[in-house]
Amino acid sequence: MPDAVEVEDVTRVFEPRKKKDERVVALDEVSLTIPEGEIHGLLGPNGAGKTTLVKILSTVLLPTSGRARVCGHDVVEETKAVRPLIGIVFGGERGLYWRLTGRQNLEYWGALYRLPPAAVRERTRTLLERVGLADRADQRVEQYSRGMKQRLHLARGLIGDAKVLFLDEPTTGMDPIAGREFRTLIGELKGEGRTILLATHDMVEAETVCDRVTLIDRGKIIATESPRSLGHVISRFQRVDVEGAPEPVLGRIAALEGVSAVTRTEDGGARIEVSEEGATAEVLRRLVDAGVTSVRTSLPSLEEVYVQLIGERGLEV
Amino acid sequence: MRAFAAGFRLQLRIIRSDPDYFMPLVPVPLFAVAFLAIIEHAGRRDLAEYALMAPVLIALWALSLSASGEIVQGDRWSGTLEPGVASPSSFPAVVLGRVFAVTSVALFAFVEVWIVGRLLFGIPIEIHHPTAFVLTVLASSAAMAGTATIMAALFVLARSARTFQNSLSYPFYVLGGVLVPVSLLPDWLEPLSAGVFLSWSAGLLRDTLQPDAIRDVPLRLGVILGLGVLGFAAGQLLLHRILRRVRTSGELAAA
Repeated sequence: MPDAVEVEDVTRVFEPRKKKDERVVALDEVSLTIPEGEIHGLLGPNGAGKTTLVKILSTVLLPTSGRARVCGHDVVEETKAVRPLIGIVFGGERGLYWRLTGRQNLEYWGALYRLPPAAVRERTRTLLERVGLADRADQRVEQYSRGMKQRLHLARGLIGDAKVLFLDEPTTGMDPIAGREFRTLIGELKGEGRTILLATHDMVEAETVCDRVTLIDRGKIIATESPRSLGHVISRFQRVDVEGAPEPVLGRIAALEGVSAVTRTEDGGARIEVSEEGATAEVLRRLVDAGVTSVRTSLPSLEEVYVQLIGERGLEV
Repeated sequence: MRAFAAGFRLQLRIIRSDPDYFMPLVPVPLFAVAFLAIIEHAGRRDLAEYALMAPVLIALWALSLSASGEIVQGDRWSGTLEPGVASPSSFPAVVLGRVFAVTSVALFAFVEVWIVGRLLFGIPIEIHHPTAFVLTVLASSAAMAGTATIMAALFVLARSARTFQNSLSYPFYVLGGVLVPVSLLPDWLEPLSAGVFLSWSAGLLRDTLQPDAIRDVPLRLGVILGLGVLGFAAGQLLLHRILRRVRTSGELAAA
């Protein structure tokens, strides 16, 4: 069985339209494989190439070179085979007919996915309930809040019963509760066996729902791992956070072989970072011998990995 | 067919929610008054069908061309073009359905001229050949929709499309014999006029309002439909190429 998504050395260059513009390499020989049923996060700053990749996989943008396939079908040569298999949710408020109601929007998109009229009506009703818009179904979209529009976007992405979903910043504009409900919905979709590519800035979202994440920056893939093991990319070993450790004990631990740093934290505790295999066990033994019992080991969070690898570029893209 | 129907229904709903679409129907009664006043003043009531059908055909052309030009470009600006293109349905079929809906609305112009003719001038529209009349209206609407898909495609590419669209009106009213019969135009214009479906529609529509027997109805209907199909084929080809081009250039979505 082919993978749900296969991307092989895809490059996308935007040629300048005016002389003063610069040539932009949005994707630079990107390769990525997503097996069926996986929720895959695509993380990166603005301009990293996330949306460009999603658009290529959605058949609305052609790659400059390389190949991409969805469920074994080439996204350039076999668009007719690809399109019934995919659902797209582009972020933001655009992509809906604002003068029509939520129900009318979904009925239109359902018809484009070649569902029989009765099935369109039933599926529209079910999806509006699923995304919490049943009570506002017959209101014009222009009267919806940003979060409601985003939920309608989601419903539109699901109307065709797609096997593979491409979600580009799907929680933009959602409040925290709607965001949490969205993550529950993603879990349900995974339970239904769908494959999801989720392009997002939201580390918590990626860490919570994704089986694996790909970090992308300036059109290049930096790493692809599960959110938990991605910490190994910047630190192969655990860190030890302690509370109430006496200064002399910390000083002796800092001198141990394999301990790379001991730093005081703002809450009065300390973080011990190890750089060699086996060092964590020795650090823990020393702490316990010294009567320190408030100890926690951890890997770097996804956010720390992101900041470390992408760099703190501020607003620069 | 499902894509066509989806496009048709969508556009009717959009039109219902936006009164701007009805604007080209506003001058129809005024045109009718002006044309009928001229023939009344000249004592040529026998030309009433010209004065009555001209505003209808002008509305059909103006509304179809202006609204259809906005369809693809409007989707591009609203961000609905990308999901539309990425759906399994044929996008040109959806566009055709939408254009057809616009064309159907233009048929309200018949009601307007009927009211003006009847109430202000005491001239009723008498349809002496109802079957031929209905078939001509349907064929003309289909041909108009087919032709208008060219405009829908052109609007994606050319910023000057609106100027082009505006400049298309009067030459086609002349070539289409909308008010002045083609037979009265210089001879060298006649071959050009024969390539414009509007001239065949105008002639046949006027004939259905006359009590005399109509000649070659199937042939003339066939020509109207054939020219419409040619227009649609050209529009579809153009749309296909333009979509390919904007997928390559990354301009499918407007910023």
